[in-house]
Amino acid sequence: MTLVFSAKTSGSDDLKAIISAISTLVEEATFVANAEGITFRGMDPSHVALIDISWPNSAFEKYECDNDIKFGVRVDEFSKLIKRAEKQDSIEIGISEDNMLLVTIGKNKKYKMRLIESSASDTPLPKIPYDAKIGLTSSAFDKILGDVQVVSDYLTIKATTSKAEFSGKGDSGEVLIDLEKGMEQLTDISVKQESTGTYSLEYLNPVVKAVGTTAGSVTCEYSSAKPLRIEFKVANIGRIHFYLAPRVES
Amino acid sequence: MSRSSKEIRKSIEANWREYLSRYGNLFSSNSLSGSSPPSVFVGTYNYPKVNVGPMVPPVHGDTSLLDIPERWLGKSLEEIVNFRLSLVRGIKKVSVLEPEGRFIENLQEVAMSSRPTDSDIEFHKNTVPITTIDGESAPFGPIGEIKKAKFSGSSAQRTIENAYYDKDLKAEDAVLKLYNTGIDLSQIQKCFSIGMFGKKRKLVPTRWSITATDDIISKSLVTEILDYQLIDCCKVFSFNHLGNMFSIILFPHRWLFEMEEAWYDEQGQIGFGSDYEDARGIDHPPAIAGAYFAAKLGVAEYLAKNKTQAAVLVLREIRPEYAIPVGVWQVREGIRAAMKEQPFIASSLDDGINHACKSMSISKLEWLAKGELFKKMKQKSITDFF
Repeated sequence: MTLVFSAKTSGSDDLKAIISAISTLVEEATFVANAEGITFRGMDPSHVALIDISWPNSAFEKYECDNDIKFGVRVDEFSKLIKRAEKQDSIEIGISEDNMLLVTIGKNKKYKMRLIESSASDTPLPKIPYDAKIGLTSSAFDKILGDVQVVSDYLTIKATTSKAEFSGKGDSGEVLIDLEKGMEQLTDISVKQESTGTYSLEYLNPVVKAVGTTAGSVTCEYSSAKPLRIEFKVANIGRIHFYLAPRVES
Repeated sequence: MSRSSKEIRKSIEANWREYLSRYGNLFSSNSLSGSSPPSVFVGTYNYPKVNVGPMVPPVHGDTSLLDIPERWLGKSLEEIVNFRLSLVRGIKKVSVLEPEGRFIENLQEVAMSSRPTDSDIEFHKNTVPITTIDGESAPFGPIGEIKKAKFSGSSAQRTIENAYYDKDLKAEDAVLKLYNTGIDLSQIQKCFSIGMFGKKRKLVPTRWSITATDDIISKSLVTEILDYQLIDCCKVFSFNHLGNMFSIILFPHRWLFEMEEAWYDEQGQIGFGSDYEDARGIDHPPAIAGAYFAAKLGVAEYLAKNKTQAAVLVLREIRPEYAIPVGVWQVREGIRAAMKEQPFIASSLDDGINHACKSMSISKLEWLAKGELFKKMKQKSITDFF
């Protein structure tokens, strides 16, 4: 049986952002490709964070896949190779007959990379209703994380119908950043119920930095003492969902 | 003023210096004939041009006990110190990057031997007691610079020999392969130290090689453990030896490992040290050094054997009776022994910690305040919400 699988991006930024986001959580990644597109889902080793990526066929310049396939890569190896692409270079991936990952960068750079055994486990998603939703520009969110990091290892988010409060507390002091409805950094706020959640910057910072400005905006959804879900809106990618379990004082 | 555990360790190490200066000269001579247990030692002083050589007692026959810590459980501190004192350490300066030449090859044959190796050594001068003790390696007796050394009667362990000649086998894989075939950890460590494994070979000081082999093996076991079901209840294991009290608390949670140590000095002052990791592993050299990896190995062996996963808190109280540090092997063997005991089945984690602290002089509150584990456990798991 010959496998038909080929996916070609128009530039390299999106793929770089995706791989970089994945690299903050896992060392090995298993991707699933089918006629609809490519997906990835995985948790970090301590099961605190989960990343769920769905990359529909429409996001690619060219996409062909006539069978369900899974392929596993070592993220650091894949990442190094993708980084060899210039911003405007297209990247085409496929699987060779000898079961290697084929990566064509631009017109003439052809890599073959070893695949690793793909993991079989089907990770579910957290089932929770979200009481609060906050939309931010990605640069505003990145700044808030930086501001809080100065005094704390954790970010506390409190959302009311009229404003979002980001705060942190540590040995050296505390910080409070208020974003009122109507401010330009706050693109959306909808709150069913006033909610407060605390989340580790150790996990938040790397992923936000990894996706960077490839995402124009982010949406944070959460409920009190429940996981946070961040959606990164990347123009050419369906979505990157990052789930982070809360810290709970008890 | 309270002292750090490091300072207290220093004062304890002074006891060994005193002991050695009093008894070390008993073995002073410019030649030595005896059976190496087998034993080789690579120092750290003057790294990367370090002192390397065999350790040999002035007796022939089955001296194997002298350098197989796996067999020292149940011996008193005095017994261990006394037989270690008879091990004379011959040295030659060798660059760690060049583990080759006749001398090193001879030592490699000694290290992989399944039985003691007859050794005849001539020294430049009489051997002298050098009062170094690092707390990680087991102590040893006087030192002499080697003029000539002859070895005979070694018999290579086949599996080690195969790893030795396999220049494509990574050092880590060699360690794991030998461990899985049942070679004593102490022997794997000696071979690792004397530059017998890996693609690009080099000597590794004994002290570092002990940590490295414990680290390689425990890391591999933890990878395996991460796939197992969580333990069904909280269990507490305990063991005391050589003035060291160990309590190991296992409880149902994804892999977390914390080890806390409390040292007493002769004045009754206490020093604390602790280190911690989650499933991502430890990303810095632990403050409590080799003891961390040795304990992690002992617990990981138990979990892997029982195909179960747990979070682990190891408490180690070091009493003033532990007057001379005899090496991290005693932590590894102490934990291994604890994990063979019948555990106390606790009704809750709190109950388990109460039980673990009951026989110790450090209170539960003190242990918990010095550790990170309970602060870290405020972080929930995403799987709690599936």
